[in-house]
Amino acid sequence: MIHTEGLTKTFDGRIAVDAINLDVKEGEVFGFLGPNGAGKTTTVRLLSCLIGPTSGRAWVNGFEVGKQDMDIRRSVGILTETPGLYDRLSAEKNLIIFADLYEVPPDVRDKQVRRYLEMMGLWDRRNEMVAGFSKGMKQKMAIARALIHNPKVLFLDEPTASLDPEASRVVHEFIQGLRSEGHTIFLCTHNLDEADRLCDRIGVMKQKLITVDSQANLRRSLYGRKVVLQVTSITPEIIAAIKALPFVKAVDRSDGALTIALDKPEEQNPILVRTVLQAGGEIQFLSEMKHSLEDIYFSLIGQGEAGG
Amino acid sequence: MERWTQVNLFKVSVILRKEWLEMFKNKYVMLMTTLLPLLFVVLPLGFLFITGRPDAKMSGLEDIANAPAFAGMDPRAAAQILLIQQFMFYFLMMPLIIPVYVASYSIIGEKQQHTLEPLLATPITVTDLLLGKALSAFIPAIGVTWLAYLVYAVIARFLTSFTVWKYIVSPIWVLAIVLLGPLLGILAINVGVIVSSRVNDVRLAEQISGLLVLPVVLVGLPLTAAKILVSWPMFVAGLAAVLALDVVVLWIAVRLFKRETILTRWK
Repeated sequence: MIHTEGLTKTFDGRIAVDAINLDVKEGEVFGFLGPNGAGKTTTVRLLSCLIGPTSGRAWVNGFEVGKQDMDIRRSVGILTETPGLYDRLSAEKNLIIFADLYEVPPDVRDKQVRRYLEMMGLWDRRNEMVAGFSKGMKQKMAIARALIHNPKVLFLDEPTASLDPEASRVVHEFIQGLRSEGHTIFLCTHNLDEADRLCDRIGVMKQKLITVDSQANLRRSLYGRKVVLQVTSITPEIIAAIKALPFVKAVDRSDGALTIALDKPEEQNPILVRTVLQAGGEIQFLSEMKHSLEDIYFSLIGQGEAGG
Repeated sequence: MERWTQVNLFKVSVILRKEWLEMFKNKYVMLMTTLLPLLFVVLPLGFLFITGRPDAKMSGLEDIANAPAFAGMDPRAAAQILLIQQFMFYFLMMPLIIPVYVASYSIIGEKQQHTLEPLLATPITVTDLLLGKALSAFIPAIGVTWLAYLVYAVIARFLTSFTVWKYIVSPIWVLAIVLLGPLLGILAINVGVIVSSRVNDVRLAEQISGLLVLPVVLVGLPLTAAKILVSWPMFVAGLAAVLALDVVVLWIAVRLFKRETILTRWK
């Protein structure tokens, strides 16, 4: 659905986006992570034809950036960093104006406006000026506006920034609903928990695209799989017995627990438990060690910096 | 690639509708759009009413009547025409002032509300966007100017002599209002676009763009002081000068009003 080849953007000689190669599949939620100034917003602007590339090529929904910009604009929706609504206009008028600019036929437009205002819980306030709306309501309005023409691809730039947990939850549920409807979602976010929960794959970027993969694969490739074993008393015999197991890659002892690296915990945990029991240990807890997306993110950003 | 010659009238009308919906909700812009023309109509009418009374005393009448431009004219009528000429310049200031208020709010309003990015993400060309915004300022400014002049001309007929009234509706002034007015309006809008692209404060944009009225004042005042009436060569020269300025300023405004420039360079 989105494909780029060496997509590059410079501003007055400063590289904002450096030759990124990217593939986003139809119907997936793709998380785009990176620190401030990494080039995420510039990439979104390039892919939604708001600015042109300095070099490289990109296709969105089969249309080429720079050659079929109007077709791309018709088939994508964008939620910018700030909601950007006309404060003096009513909620309904805001959506109607944009539906008209997206060339939505009037009968479809009216149904879409009603559908999204009802979905966002704003139908009863449709005639009120947007100026009086809360941040959360404005963000919902901006999402409704991005969807008003039923785009195949949706670019969401920090959709829950500055929202309270309740409003964030509504937006998260909404994104999950959109995925089930088959929309392709390109999600730029600093909220790693949000990315972990919503995204099928993530891309980490810092001018260059550092990596793209699913979180599970990234965890595996960066950290392998580990289990944490807590026993009443750790003895040298227990450690030696565990180390003697052929599938155990490493054993670390810290805070009264053993962290054991292995490949297939589903198959190897029963053998591990038996071995500990036979060595005289009493098991209190056994759990798989989960590296957060935050760990993965900082690890990747560190790799990116080390690699220049 | 976008071409400046491609115009989608429907999209232009959507922008126009949006601008006017916002404008009607903006009390300040509405006040300026109605108060200024009202003032510029009432002032000369008041002058005609006061100076037209038989008991009204006017000094320097002989001086004015002796000027070559007023040869053979009734001294009171000559004095009224000379001073009325100054008021006629007000009608050329209207299409310079009103669009600045509308255009400044239109563009800086978009910047303040952060609406330019979602707007430019829609399948609209910058030509349609600029045209819609320009027309939203141009139509009310020219409409109000022409209406004010019409009202003034009609009421003036009852307040002054036929000789003076004939000057108010003379071909040179009718053409000035009908032709020069719109050209000045275009100039004001484009200057408004240029200034608004660089500043984020509406009042500052108005003050900077407001300097546009200075040349009109600087043309009008010396003529009145020197007891000279506007002539056809002066009119043609003025028309040509404004037209040339329009072309230059439009060229700059069009260069600034590009999708990428708006998003990355406008402050």
